[in-house]
Amino acid sequence: MRIGMPHMGNLYIPFKALFQRLNIDFVIPPLNNQRTLSLGVRHSPEGMCIPFKLTLGNLIEATELGADTLLMPAGSGICRLGYYAKTQEQILHDLGYNIAMVSVGVSQRKLFGLLEMIKRLSNNAPWSKIISAFRFGLAKLNAMDRIERAVQKIRPVERIKGTANKLFAKAIKAIDQADDYNTLKKVQINCIDQLNQVTKVSKAQPLVVGIIGEFYVLLEPFSNLDVESELGKLGVEVRRTTFVSEWTKFSLFLNPLGMNEKDRIHKAALPYLKRDIGGDGWESVGEKVLHATEYDGLIHLAPFTCMPEIVAQNIMPSTKENIPVLTILCDEQIAKPGMLTRLEAFVDLLEHRRRAQSNSLRREHGSLSGH
Amino acid sequence: MIKVGIPRALLYYQYYPMWKTFFEELGAEVVVSPLTTQAILSSGSSRVVADTCLPVKVFCGHVLALIGECDYIFIPAICSVKTKIYNCSKFLGLPDMTKAVIPESPPIFDIDIDINKGKRELYRAIYKLGRRFTWNPFKVRQAGIAAWQAHLKYRQLMSIHGLTPPQAIERISNKSEAKPEIPPSSPTQTQAAIAVVGHPYLLYDEHINHRLIHRLEKAHYKVLMPEMLTAEELKLATTRLVGRSYWTYEEEVVGAGGHYLESGVGGVIGIMAFGCGPDSLMMDMVHRRAARLRTTAFMSLTLEEHTAEAGVVTRLEAFLDMIQRRKRSQVEVCV
Repeated sequence: MRIGMPHMGNLYIPFKALFQRLNIDFVIPPLNNQRTLSLGVRHSPEGMCIPFKLTLGNLIEATELGADTLLMPAGSGICRLGYYAKTQEQILHDLGYNIAMVSVGVSQRKLFGLLEMIKRLSNNAPWSKIISAFRFGLAKLNAMDRIERAVQKIRPVERIKGTANKLFAKAIKAIDQADDYNTLKKVQINCIDQLNQVTKVSKAQPLVVGIIGEFYVLLEPFSNLDVESELGKLGVEVRRTTFVSEWTKFSLFLNPLGMNEKDRIHKAALPYLKRDIGGDGWESVGEKVLHATEYDGLIHLAPFTCMPEIVAQNIMPSTKENIPVLTILCDEQIAKPGMLTRLEAFVDLLEHRRRAQSNSLRREHGSLSGH
Repeated sequence: MIKVGIPRALLYYQYYPMWKTFFEELGAEVVVSPLTTQAILSSGSSRVVADTCLPVKVFCGHVLALIGECDYIFIPAICSVKTKIYNCSKFLGLPDMTKAVIPESPPIFDIDIDINKGKRELYRAIYKLGRRFTWNPFKVRQAGIAAWQAHLKYRQLMSIHGLTPPQAIERISNKSEAKPEIPPSSPTQTQAAIAVVGHPYLLYDEHINHRLIHRLEKAHYKVLMPEMLTAEELKLATTRLVGRSYWTYEEEVVGAGGHYLESGVGGVIGIMAFGCGPDSLMMDMVHRRAARLRTTAFMSLTLEEHTAEAGVVTRLEAFLDMIQRRKRSQVEVCV
């Protein structure tokens, strides 16, 4: 049995660590590239969203490398995700691949469902081994996300553009190769040290832009044309609440205990959207309301034809809390020059807005001191 | 008297008799928006973001058409009507979305229908809606029961008498006339049967599908609809094709499509809206089934606001020609 699974950002690294420790044969398809996208687009129903197309491309490429058991997340969220595995299985069968699809229902049984699935795949390895492997995978995931947060802070202020990204890539590689907790910790500390030593431009506060929207396109740089790095080049600091490590922390461990990080977001959305509409639509509206005063602007990423995000997109302009929002729809037609132009225009707008605000503040102060 | 407006779009075709009975039993007057026109569609699509699906654009147009005609608008948020089977996000967000894009709309009566939360929650939601008209819980209960009866009768008119939803609604509305039934009982001149599958709000809105059904009937085809199948048949066919259904209105697409593909009709036409999330997957399932069976001709038509009439007509003609040719060649083979 060879296992394959689709990509989402660097998620393959923790899974690789987990499967390696359990001696499960795991195939990593090539990272998302133009061929993946073309394969996905060619064999998907035309109205499908980009996560479906890319994951289908990954599955096809994994099958080409000999995978015969494919993992695909499923569950009864209200968006199309729950139907992915069913359709992709049919598509792969129609293409003549003889594979078994294992849908991972993470939304219902949480941690236990996931562990049970791993146990099945590992040919009934003892629980102690599974849990220790799982913990190591999680440690890698957490280390990557911690470094990514630091990278987000450095990108806008580094003197030589691209330094942070280079360090990030190096760290990812080192994390992938790390074999025990000690090395892992060393890599993390090293990388964050190096990031802090990067020469910075002496600029006043950079603009702060929040990135909100659909989970997959937020976390897969290939699908959003690496919008975060592009914003960094423009000198904008990016903040994002969605991280896989956050998601696992809450939905696997804390939600069953009755803690929910999203309560605050949902509460903020309540005056405008009263109920969960599936996917991340409710969170998008809530984050707009919450961050209206904290950030300079928001970039809303959504796959083209994403149902929950369209509802959110329709509702967002009507909120009382006002903040500029740029919606970027991601699909196979999206092109870098077009996106860059829109980003530049948006950043210009935010700079103007900030200047106007500080001017009006100064004027107020001036008139006060005059009296 | 309180006037309650019901937009003639989306779930109107599924539940109108039920809603109407409920409000009338509680002493309200029910106003329905007119048939879809180009003006309604354009006004609706001017309000929402461009990639919203066609049916929702039509819905917003109908809400706009009701402004000034009624005191309240009824827009339920139907999350699920069967356990663990959910509805599309757009139905869930419909009341909030309408409020956001049409701020001038009359106050909206929204009600959460979610079977997963249990019967108690459902009754409480219905009661909460009824309380806006009367303090008397028994009256609400009575109205609810009457509404359910009306719904059952409506379903029966369609599945047993073979009426389309608009015909059935008309039949229910003018009870007194009791017209003698004129079903398409002229088998001599009918060519073959063509099944049209899809959501009722696409099949029966003659403006957005360019009178497709009418055109088929004019070409002397007998037209079969998802509503003409019983709940049992739909469920069986769905299970055969995809296992347990995932979407609330999956049976009228996958179930009906699967059933008709195997029932020996001349051809199956699947109608979907551009930008419809569930349809993009469900129609693909039917399509794949058709490709694998290779017995029944299948065509899927995607509707959107730019769909030109000529385009629909051309594709329809080509499809019908193909069925004709197929039939001829089969006869030859038999001979």
